Amino acid sequence: MRWGAFFSVMVIVALIILYEWPKMKQNPKKDKMAFFTLLFIGLVLSMFDLPHMGGPTAWIQSLFRPFGRFMEK
Amino acid sequence: MEKGKISFLQMAIMMYPTIVATAILGVPSITAKYAKTDLWLSPILASFIGFVTVYATYKLHKLYPEQTVIQFSEHIIGRFAGKVLGFIFLFFYIQIIGIIIRGYAEFIVNSFLVTTPISVIMASMVLLCALTVHGGLETMGRVAQMFFPVFIVPFLTSIILLSSDMEFKNILPILGGGMVPSMKGAIVPSGWFTEFFLIIFLLPFLKDKQKGMKYGMISVVAVMMTLVAVNLIVLFVLGPATSSKEYPLMNVARYVSIAEFFEHLESAVMAVWIVGAFVKISVFYYATALGTAQWLNLSDYRSIVWPLGILMLEFGFWSLPNAMETERFDVETFPLYGLLIQTITPLFLLMIAIARKRKRLGSKKND
Repeated sequence: MRWGAFFSVMVIVALIILYEWPKMKQNPKKDKMAFFTLLFIGLVLSMFDLPHMGGPTAWIQSLFRPFGRFMEK
Repeated sequence: MEKGKISFLQMAIMMYPTIVATAILGVPSITAKYAKTDLWLSPILASFIGFVTVYATYKLHKLYPEQTVIQFSEHIIGRFAGKVLGFIFLFFYIQIIGIIIRGYAEFIVNSFLVTTPISVIMASMVLLCALTVHGGLETMGRVAQMFFPVFIVPFLTSIILLSSDMEFKNILPILGGGMVPSMKGAIVPSGWFTEFFLIIFLLPFLKDKQKGMKYGMISVVAVMMTLVAVNLIVLFVLGPATSSKEYPLMNVARYVSIAEFFEHLESAVMAVWIVGAFVKISVFYYATALGTAQWLNLSDYRSIVWPLGILMLEFGFWSLPNAMETERFDVETFPLYGLLIQTITPLFLLMIAIARKRKRLGSKKND
């Protein structure tokens, strides 16, 4: 866990909520749900050591490995 | 959802830096690795993908003039499959923006701001782009229009200033190894040309819809000519050493020296690059924000612009521990990945849509 990244993302998330909330008060409930869900995903992801963790990018890279080998030649 | 309108010229101006900005820096050396002295031929071959993409995109737009790909894919292949395809598109764009931002910041850190933490550079760019996207499509169109001279003038001047350093015989032998090396060199730039699919997110908001196709094609031609020009300049000045440089255009700009006081033009290259990357990331960002809002049936895309920014930043780091890995993704994964998502998928959608339309017309005739 990288605390620096986590806390800076937390501060950014707080700032985003403070900035955006007054404007979207009258928006439908669905908009608010999407807004908070996306923020929450961002916050959760910031807890991990992302650069050294296998993720979608690594999966796609291994999926296209045969093409990569063709390009290496 | 989007009330702004842009003109066809603004669309062409937005798309030009979107493709060119990142393609002029790293791509010439990758192309040179495969095509050797024929690297100037590769963008011409690669532009074929650009024409196909624009054609398929425009035809799809004609069938569903008021909608973006996220909305009409539900009409073409059914609600559930459409949602899945929409998710794939959005996921692709969030991931690609992350990698573009990373590539941009990697360049700034390597060449200029050596001691600045990379996350600061990435975050400041996302902040700027988020503000622009928040302003809406009209803002983006005008910003692109305003910055277009900043992008094009230093570029043209540097060609003139470099003419004394050019060694024209570097271009020989032409097609010394046959067509195959230049075709292989075209693979990586063709990945960039698939990004023309992004016009599907801009076409529904054009003021004059008839000219969308024409100006899309003009944009492809302009990008192709710019890439050919850049590759030729790099080849004339650096010769066979092109493939060993990471950012050949930067090395070339360092050659400029007039009367020993007009030097260090690489800062001009950096300015061009930052402006271009800004427009590029904004267009991708806009497409993602609008697409996500349409995918979730939200009333407005503005509220999710900021949360998406955080996700993009995180994708810029995810599974990419260093600059080497980021470049490897561009060479070994992106050309085919981009082609699959941005050219082949729209072609399939177009085929299915046309087949369904024919069937509908046929059954009407029988009645």
